[in-house]
Amino acid sequence: MFIMIEMLLNSFSVCLKKLIACQIKKHRAKLIFLLFLFSTTTNSLIAQGKGHPVTDHFWLWSFLGRLHPMIVHFPISILFVALLLEIIAWRRKSNNFQSSIKILVFVGALSAITAVALGLLLSNADNYESTDTLSIHQWTGIATMILACITAYAYLKLSPRTKKMLLTLTVVGVTIAGHYGASLTHGDDYLTSVLPSKSSSTAGLDSMFILTGNKGLSETQLMELNVQVRAIFAHNCNNCHGAAKVKGKLRLDSKEAIFKGGEDGAVIVPGKPDESDLIKRIKLPRSDKKAMPAKGKGLTQEEIAVLEFWIKQGAPWPKGELKSLYRVAELAPRMPAIPAASSDLVNPIDRFVNVYFQKNNVKWNKPVDDRTYMRRVYLDVIGLLPPPDSLDAFANNTATDKRELLVRELLNRNNDYAQHWLTFWNDALRNDYSGTGYITDGRFGITKWLYSSLRDNKPYDVFVKELISPDSSSMGFIKGIQWRGTINASQRTEMQAAQNVSQVFLGLNLKCASCHDSFISDWKLDDSYAFANIFADSVLEINRCDKPTGRMAGRRILYKQLGQLDSNASTKNRLKQLADLLVQPKNGRLFRTLANRVWAQVMGRGIVEPVDVMDNQPWSQDLLDWLAADFVANGYDIKKLLYNILTSKTYQLPSVGIKDAGLIVAQDYTFKGMLRRRLTAEEFADAVSVAIEPVYGDSMVVYKLLPDSIKKTIPFPRAALVKNDPFLTALGRPNRETVSTSRLSQANLLQALELTNGMQFNNALKRGANKWKEKYPDSKTMIKEIYRKAFGRSPNEDEEAVAIKTLGNHPTDASVQDLIWAITLHPEFQLIF
Amino acid sequence: MQSNWNRRDFIKKSSAATLAALAAGAPIASMLSSCNSKKKFSSTADTVILLWMAGGMAHTETFDPKKYVAFEKGMKSNDVLSTFPSMPTALDGIRFSEGLQSIGSVMDKGTLIRSYVAADMGFILHSRHQYHWHTCYEPPQTVAAPHIGAWIANQLGPKNPVIPAFVDIGQRFSVGEAEELKAFHTAGFLGNEFGPFLIPDPSQGLESVRPPVGMDSKRFEQRNKLYNDLISKSPVGELGSDYQKESLKRSMEQAYMLLNSPEAKAFDLSLEPKESYDIYNTGRFGLGCLLARRLTEQGARFISVTTEYEPFVGFDTHENGHTRMVGMKKMIDGPVAQLIKDLHKTGHLDRTLVILASEFSRDMMVEGRPDAKVQEQVSQPEVISDLKFYGMHRHFTDGCSILMFGGGIKKGFVYGKTADERPCKSIENPVKINQIHQTIYHALGIPEDTQYEVEKRPFYTTPDGKGKPVMELLG
Repeated sequence: MFIMIEMLLNSFSVCLKKLIACQIKKHRAKLIFLLFLFSTTTNSLIAQGKGHPVTDHFWLWSFLGRLHPMIVHFPISILFVALLLEIIAWRRKSNNFQSSIKILVFVGALSAITAVALGLLLSNADNYESTDTLSIHQWTGIATMILACITAYAYLKLSPRTKKMLLTLTVVGVTIAGHYGASLTHGDDYLTSVLPSKSSSTAGLDSMFILTGNKGLSETQLMELNVQVRAIFAHNCNNCHGAAKVKGKLRLDSKEAIFKGGEDGAVIVPGKPDESDLIKRIKLPRSDKKAMPAKGKGLTQEEIAVLEFWIKQGAPWPKGELKSLYRVAELAPRMPAIPAASSDLVNPIDRFVNVYFQKNNVKWNKPVDDRTYMRRVYLDVIGLLPPPDSLDAFANNTATDKRELLVRELLNRNNDYAQHWLTFWNDALRNDYSGTGYITDGRFGITKWLYSSLRDNKPYDVFVKELISPDSSSMGFIKGIQWRGTINASQRTEMQAAQNVSQVFLGLNLKCASCHDSFISDWKLDDSYAFANIFADSVLEINRCDKPTGRMAGRRILYKQLGQLDSNASTKNRLKQLADLLVQPKNGRLFRTLANRVWAQVMGRGIVEPVDVMDNQPWSQDLLDWLAADFVANGYDIKKLLYNILTSKTYQLPSVGIKDAGLIVAQDYTFKGMLRRRLTAEEFADAVSVAIEPVYGDSMVVYKLLPDSIKKTIPFPRAALVKNDPFLTALGRPNRETVSTSRLSQANLLQALELTNGMQFNNALKRGANKWKEKYPDSKTMIKEIYRKAFGRSPNEDEEAVAIKTLGNHPTDASVQDLIWAITLHPEFQLIF
Repeated sequence: MQSNWNRRDFIKKSSAATLAALAAGAPIASMLSSCNSKKKFSSTADTVILLWMAGGMAHTETFDPKKYVAFEKGMKSNDVLSTFPSMPTALDGIRFSEGLQSIGSVMDKGTLIRSYVAADMGFILHSRHQYHWHTCYEPPQTVAAPHIGAWIANQLGPKNPVIPAFVDIGQRFSVGEAEELKAFHTAGFLGNEFGPFLIPDPSQGLESVRPPVGMDSKRFEQRNKLYNDLISKSPVGELGSDYQKESLKRSMEQAYMLLNSPEAKAFDLSLEPKESYDIYNTGRFGLGCLLARRLTEQGARFISVTTEYEPFVGFDTHENGHTRMVGMKKMIDGPVAQLIKDLHKTGHLDRTLVILASEFSRDMMVEGRPDAKVQEQVSQPEVISDLKFYGMHRHFTDGCSILMFGGGIKKGFVYGKTADERPCKSIENPVKINQIHQTIYHALGIPEDTQYEVEKRPFYTTPDGKGKPVMELLG
């Protein structure tokens, strides 16, 4: 094992040596001086900063400062490794490492200096509490840095014993400093970090305008000021002074509570900020025990100024309904005017995207070629790879409208379409062929209904109605999953119905608010219960955090704009009313949610993300609104919606890769084209089945749960129609115990293991290899055919050469199996691009 | 997304070579752990082995024996508290039910908890209580709750990168209630990556970590080379790098490394000396303990070994309780004791926390708990006429035993107490599941308020972040 480290370090040091070793030697005096200078200046910067309780800083300092936690790892690890090498060298009595160690010590010292400088910036710029831990960390850090510099010097000038001793000391120093660094708490603002950010709640509002206005405030100004004040409380105070915790008997999350004060009386004296305890406490130096907030960072000067201004104005509070702290999307539909067409941009989608591109400086790229396009639409419409002959024919076809014709033809393959989209809807409606609940009759499948609805392209309004106001074939969705025994109040089946209906159809998260008033939206516990109560046979008692409150729930729909239902009607009638109210054209949210989901399925990312949070900002409001409005105008036809998208130039843009899965949901995302994605578990299994050999046997298909007529329509046992198994699970098929509306397309070790030596997959490959060998005794023909079937193209010369090397002139079962294994795991096979 | 920077992220981002180096250099790895910014205490364990007594193990028949009444026809059910005499253990005044003498002999190395109280969830379903024990959340949940092993895998990553961080040994998913079992053998919202590496049969463990059956290592190596060559020759390179492609390549490399690594030998039980193998070989559970030991020696993170849950089988004694317990004790006594002894001998016990637990206990009379009895599932006659009625056949949730060894747990310590007369419920220091989880997390150095943001709501390791570690258990 030591050998491995040694090898690694040696190669590392050889590179470094060439680059910098001599440089350092030449300029060492200058360098050391410069570094000391840098650290002293930063220090004096801080000294100046002290005394002011809280200051806002130039962003760059904050930014650099925040690099500190990353940079500190360099001195830690590098110096440590240097010592380790010293120890190894000492034990082996060898001199082999001396040059490497020297470099490590130098780089270690350099990085220590950088780390200290950035650390000082961080402690200053980010308003840390000046605690003992911080100052110990700061001074041990600085001391270690100096020690590291001396050590570095020692490695040039001093005796071996001295330098080893110094290095050991430095490592001890690094350990101590590191320990205190780790002890510094960063995590107290976890919960508040999910609240609307400071910048967004104050953005768009010129706070200076308010601050300079010395006459009475207008209604709008009052409303905006109120939002700012509540946002400051929500962001900085409500963690400890809110519903979850009530420190000092003070809550700052409602008008009444704010003016009532805490155990020491009122915290606000209207008109007199200087006498208001709240202002006094937030202005105390951070080191003061009574300073607020007690944990984490202090308020910024601007925030303090806003609160002072508000109190000075007499702490006004607007009457009536307050403006939300959170972004709330419009409920009503909207048909935006379609921007003018140009010669090659006719499809309204492209015209909206064109406006978006112009605004965001994105250029239109050339559409993808025929083969890429055909593979995409095949996978997106019917979930299958295109046959090689069709690809050739399509590429050779000269008709100008061939892409439109192709999409139309695929959309008309009703059963293939249903067999593909079944997977998406099974996930969303958490319908599965096996799963919890079935064992105790606590769950009902809806597969037959769902399959026929997709096959017949049931208009979406009817689709939704039949799920919410169901007969026995579609009741599984709102009936939820009931395990034997008693369950948590927030998980009773009526509440599950409320959560699932709002999540799937309205892109709305009621889960928080089904236990307590939500901390992340305006939804209240009572709203959730009133909605859940619509599904209940007898009136529900409101439980807060699983404790009965003694209050009974009302009965109302989440958005009062949608109208009222008769709360005394029978459950059946009530559900019918609910269904009718939800699918009204004026419920724009229902159709935006659907349009966004379909868009996300074929484009790799929604116009709004996450797709279940429809209150988030779309990257193009006009496009989303138009898609939804057009969907309604076209009779709630999902296939028509798909047709519009798939034939747009926008869809035909080259795919875009991203570095990190987290970026998919990033709110500052810029649309440039479809995001590259991996085949889903079902798409992959089906692709192997089509190109190589069926993965599943006919006996695996859950025929009993499917419409009787299906047998004739399936081209082979498709993965969407079999029970979940370890192979599909590893590739990302969810267990469908809860609603799931998007899948991760990142690979992982367990998945790779399943693909490398899993039974299901290897058996299919084995069968396939045997058949292929019989069919294609000639290696070259076989390789060409595999490439055509799997990638839709012929191999290039290099690829052919590599494959030939494996197959030889006379392929064996084993060599064919290895080749098809490598092909199916190839990114070109695995990705939709 | 979870914002605290942890070792897992580091490992994910490192190249294979660095991974190997890290695996070799424990000191470097332990330095890195300080990067968890919230950590305020040091860990006492690196590895957890959970020995799962599936099906409800009666405390009065195992680690908390009460008055023994020998079988005779015509005896009253209500008079029977234990169907075995008790035997001394290594601890003064602490006795175990007959048949557990080996485990009794290692109790000087661990802690006995006699006051675990399971949740009250109404009409009893084993898998539901098991779900609760393993995730700390009562099903159903609005989001998919992760198994404790997945949390640990997520927070700490693998100890040795080529050994999956969460290994689950012994449970097959072809049995009754399989779907319910699957529902908690998952990483849930944490993502598949942290899910269990399932080894239903420990003697077949090697199959999971070696090249596919019929493929020798040379061919395996060539196949891997072919894969890499084809990718390098393909025009797909034009697609540039993105996370799907990169993560696929990286995962394939990792899988190749694992299947080719010397550590994979740990999975091969045939390499164990016969003498030792025989002690462990009481069936799949015993061999599971052996596999757990071998994996621990090579750097495992979390391993669960189960006696396996199958309705009415194993500890799930709805009849013939006494007779069946004789067999169950034989199954667990030798291997569990040997596991502790072996880990102790090699020094691994110092940093390995071993827990033996069950979803609830059993009693002859009480179904549920004395103050909240639930619908009975077994009809127990008042007078016993047949041996098959002699045993603990009802599900009892108010007092169960848990054993803990190593990883910072006190040695030779007993915590909590149950009543000596029926109902034999916890009467001192009752312990709940969130405390057990937090104790485990504490030993591993995972802060109490560890959470993951899912759908914008913080989801804590234990509900609402409540539940404190039982500090008395830690030495």
